[in-house]
Amino acid sequence: MSVDRDIVAAFVDGELDDLTARRIEREAAGDPALAAEIARHRALKAQLTAHYAPIADEAIPERLRALLVGADNADGVDTSLADRRAAKRARFEPLHWGALAASLVLGLTIGLRPWLPAADVASDKGVLVASGSLADALDTRLASNQPADAAVRIGLSFRDGAGRYCRSFESATVDGIGCREGDRWQLERTQRGRAPTDYRQAGSGELAAMVATMMAGDPLDADAERVARDSGWRAR
Amino acid sequence: MRFEEELVALLPRLRRFARGLARHPADADDLCQAAIERALKSRDQWYEGTRLDSWMYRITRNLWIDERRAVGRRGVHDAIDDAATQVAGDGAAEVEAGALRGDVDGAMARLPDEQREVVMLVLVEGYAYREAADILDVPIGTVTSRLARGRETLMHYLGEAA
Repeated sequence: MSVDRDIVAAFVDGELDDLTARRIEREAAGDPALAAEIARHRALKAQLTAHYAPIADEAIPERLRALLVGADNADGVDTSLADRRAAKRARFEPLHWGALAASLVLGLTIGLRPWLPAADVASDKGVLVASGSLADALDTRLASNQPADAAVRIGLSFRDGAGRYCRSFESATVDGIGCREGDRWQLERTQRGRAPTDYRQAGSGELAAMVATMMAGDPLDADAERVARDSGWRAR
Repeated sequence: MRFEEELVALLPRLRRFARGLARHPADADDLCQAAIERALKSRDQWYEGTRLDSWMYRITRNLWIDERRAVGRRGVHDAIDDAATQVAGDGAAEVEAGALRGDVDGAMARLPDEQREVVMLVLVEGYAYREAADILDVPIGTVTSRLARGRETLMHYLGEAA
């Protein structure tokens, strides 16, 4: 065969300039091996295209469309989504833990896959960070002044050994400790949240123990917390 | 609103791309859903006039990579076992029948992630090498070499008439 395989591939992919492409066509006419190689590449492409094409013709699942059409649920607690999240979490497999934990400073005990539609937690370059309503709560809410029915309850605010501001939180889906890194809350510790009804009696012993080991000095009091919030949680 | 409309129009292709990456339909749609949510949240990072499709493919692909890193290689072995069973079960006549009889899913599952995503972008979604390189944020030479290796493997398993 007179032509390099990569060139054949580029030819079939339409990546060659017109002049070179025409040269290949001419050579293929007198070179059965080259012609066969071109046919082989075309067949593969056709096979893949045929295999995947029907997916693009399927009806769009309603749950995807609903995100974009008539999305007027700005404050909406979408129960179906919440249900789905709960179901997903139940499906969580312990095998994920090792890999996840290894990427985090203090280890991680949550089964969330990063791209699941749990708006509260996101993965950024392998690090779990708060997002959505959780990030908002950590950013703005004062432990000393929060609505009784808040979806995210702030526990303690404190500084860790590195001087960072950290805050413990609880919610129905996830509890944990977020520490301020740059402009985001890195989740140093997460565990599965408890349903609102059993918040109180279930207690949060593990979380409290974790806070105790991380905390340098005393927790922030109401005034210190307010000052820290107003300065954007920047570590000194 | 234009943004949402364009996204809706992209969905069929995005689902196809996700299916190629994630294989299982439910996982693929979860991936799409996460990508849409991410896109809606970070829409101010998209500049009108630039290509929404490339941007969406990039988001989708990055979420998928995050997910793959999180679960390690576990899923791949399952997939390969499936594929091996099916290939071994095929009679010689079927292998010869080639093109349409091939188990594309099984063959794709045998590709390393970085080859599978290139194959999807270039051979299925029809992106130019340059565009695929931009979406994946790798040099164009990386795209062509991964594509070449992916093609070889696919041709091998899909039983080309060589």
